[in-house]
Amino acid sequence: MIRPCDIMTVSLARLIRDGETVFHGVSSHMPLIAVLLAKATHAPNAVHLNIPGGVDPYKPRLQSFTSAGDDLWQTAEAAFPLQDVFDLSMRGGLDVAFLSGVQFDSRGGVNASVIGDYRKPKIRLPGGAGSAVLIPTAKRAIIWRTKHDKRTFTQKLDFVTARGNVSEIVTPLCIFTMFGGELILKSVHQTSSIEEVADNTAFPIRYLSLATTPPPTEEELRTLQVIDPQDYRNLEFH
Amino acid sequence: MNKLTDLTSAIQSIPDGTLLGLGGNTLNRAPMAAVMELARQKKHGLRLVKTAGGMDVDLLCFAGCVASVDAGFVSYETEYSLCQHYRQAVQAGTVKANEHACYTVISALRAASYGIPFMPVRGLQISDLVAANDYFAAVADPFTGETLNAVKAIRPQVSVIHAHLADERGNACIEGPKYDDILLSRASQTVIVTAERIVGDQYFSAGNIKADIPHFMVSAVVYAPRGAAPCACANTYGVRDEDIRSFLALDTAGDLDTWLQRRS
Repeated sequence: MIRPCDIMTVSLARLIRDGETVFHGVSSHMPLIAVLLAKATHAPNAVHLNIPGGVDPYKPRLQSFTSAGDDLWQTAEAAFPLQDVFDLSMRGGLDVAFLSGVQFDSRGGVNASVIGDYRKPKIRLPGGAGSAVLIPTAKRAIIWRTKHDKRTFTQKLDFVTARGNVSEIVTPLCIFTMFGGELILKSVHQTSSIEEVADNTAFPIRYLSLATTPPPTEEELRTLQVIDPQDYRNLEFH
Repeated sequence: MNKLTDLTSAIQSIPDGTLLGLGGNTLNRAPMAAVMELARQKKHGLRLVKTAGGMDVDLLCFAGCVASVDAGFVSYETEYSLCQHYRQAVQAGTVKANEHACYTVISALRAASYGIPFMPVRGLQISDLVAANDYFAAVADPFTGETLNAVKAIRPQVSVIHAHLADERGNACIEGPKYDDILLSRASQTVIVTAERIVGDQYFSAGNIKADIPHFMVSAVVYAPRGAAPCACANTYGVRDEDIRSFLALDTAGDLDTWLQRRS
């Protein structure tokens, strides 16, 4: 049985191209591990950027409580802190930003702010972190979300934290991609089905051609085990 | 000038209602000793500023010290999940959440450190945050007419930063990730430094390591070993899991008082 965390991490990693500048923030173990996996496999020259500012940390000993800690600094080769990463994105130099949220609409809008009214929220969420400035300025904003249901993939957002250059959304069921300003299905994981995706998505599912997400290879799973022996990629499913 | 003082006196110098910057990032090098003392002294109406807050913001909200929080993100990250006290206080209307992108906190601090009233930023092109908050506004490039968004300067009256090393005059050095703390020190009217270790007068002048925060920006220095605990401090200690979990399990204000007294 393929675990959702493995198929998601591998899918995120495969979206990184060799040589790209790639950033992830806080609460982001899965993309952090995906960047390390990409660099260990098909994208050795991808540039790993993060909040503590350690460029290309080498075999970091990951920590469970943070994806923005000194583990990403100790073995890095240059200092490029958060302020510099944002500036890089503002001037058009950031290729990929990994971000998340709690609601997404069919046009790639992201809500990470509130459920209900902004000033009198029913639920105050942590906030979009870098989303409002990175989603419109990074060349590709790649979203991951470990929940896939109709409240998450909704007709109407309670609040638009950001819209912009969302390129893919990876979930435990499938991968969406943006096409003509609309979120369409790119592939369905072999552990799911188009019916399951449709049943758990509040907007109509559209696609150009229906593909199955290629499952993780033996090499990818082996490499994941080396990079992340503590299985932090599964933290969000606990 | 010797600015070395005890934690109680340093925190007594922070009035109710202060616009207060907090150093560190989520559970990394948060100035927890100072935060816990703010709670013990039952401050009111603090207006917190931080790019990404965690237990510091949550504890101060629980203690009823907070009027508003300007931040891009407030959470413990994944393992310890959401800041429930912050969240409930915002939902109850007792704390105002001023949501930023982390970058707009940085931009607001930059404006303050540059001595200008606002900072134009790219980004926020399509975001409800602009209309929902009075610290964002559209601004035209005076040269080309292009529309950007401006964020209003934030000049904290005081910032509390936990450093690895400091001397008695206030020169302070942060090892490992500095997060936004150097900028925070420049943007603030004054800085209170808590430090893992107090070094001698000649430490910085005699060696190759220079302080990140110079003495003239600092009003008080506190010797606070494990001053970020139960949060982590780079190269020095990780999070203290049992203390975070015991805090998360607290129920009433009385429980919090007891928890705080045990750690004073």
